[in-house]
Amino acid sequence: MAYRVLIADDSPAMRSFVRRVIELSGFELSACFEAGDGAEALAVLNKEWVDAILTDINMPGVDGEELLRRLAADESLRGIPAIVISTDATENRIARLLALGAKGYITKPFRPETLRAEPERTLGVPCD
Amino acid sequence: MSAVAEVLDCMFFREVQGEAAEPPPEAETVAVQLSFDGDAPGHFQMRIVRPAANAIAADFLGEDPESLSARQSTEVTLELANMICGAVLSRIESRAAFRLGSPQIVADDAGKRGSAEETRCTVETGEGALTVAIQMEKRTCQPNEKSAS
Repeated sequence: MAYRVLIADDSPAMRSFVRRVIELSGFELSACFEAGDGAEALAVLNKEWVDAILTDINMPGVDGEELLRRLAADESLRGIPAIVISTDATENRIARLLALGAKGYITKPFRPETLRAEPERTLGVPCD
Repeated sequence: MSAVAEVLDCMFFREVQGEAAEPPPEAETVAVQLSFDGDAPGHFQMRIVRPAANAIAADFLGEDPESLSARQSTEVTLELANMICGAVLSRIESRAAFRLGSPQIVADDAGKRGSAEETRCTVETGEGALTVAIQMEKRTCQPNEKSAS
């Protein structure tokens, strides 16, 4: 099965990196959307269905935390699993984001295999 | 240094080749600064020689270094600083709450200033030196290791 993924990060370089690593890891993508912040992510979600969201936290405007809140508040979006990718590895932050509805958390720096494993775990993809 | 080494190894696929001397003032370098606030506010600076910045950016983006644009190199350098700062802070204050500001390219001499409260180290990336420095306005606990090491 091929998946549709949305990557939200204010760094074009990081969006490119995440996309490339996911594609090279063999995780099957049928579509990969990008957004520079939470507002752009919500605009994409208003038009496109995705199977998973990979989101940074520190973004200008609507940041990752606010994006998680808005996803949880929207009946049509709250079922989409969101995985946070962030430099913040503090216990408090991770706990707060999971409480806001994040289904997974990847701390930067991460190994490429982590970037595949976490979405697979979240989506319930069988291991190879 | 372990934070720097981990970031470069995991995300940029290169091994730090030990500590190094800071590049001379005349070296062409890129300097990045970002501030962080929260339980332990402060400032972080990174200074990297331009050949190393370009090589690291090329590796990160999977691009030929010759075809890399200045914008691409800058974007990756900013992200590198962001990740190293986050890795350092997570090691120092694993229970503290902090929020990173946006990294900014700054005048090269800004990356050279030091202070009595600053922790600094320089590593060899393989294509040149990378220096990181961190100043924290208030420490909630003693670091377990040299802060930027």
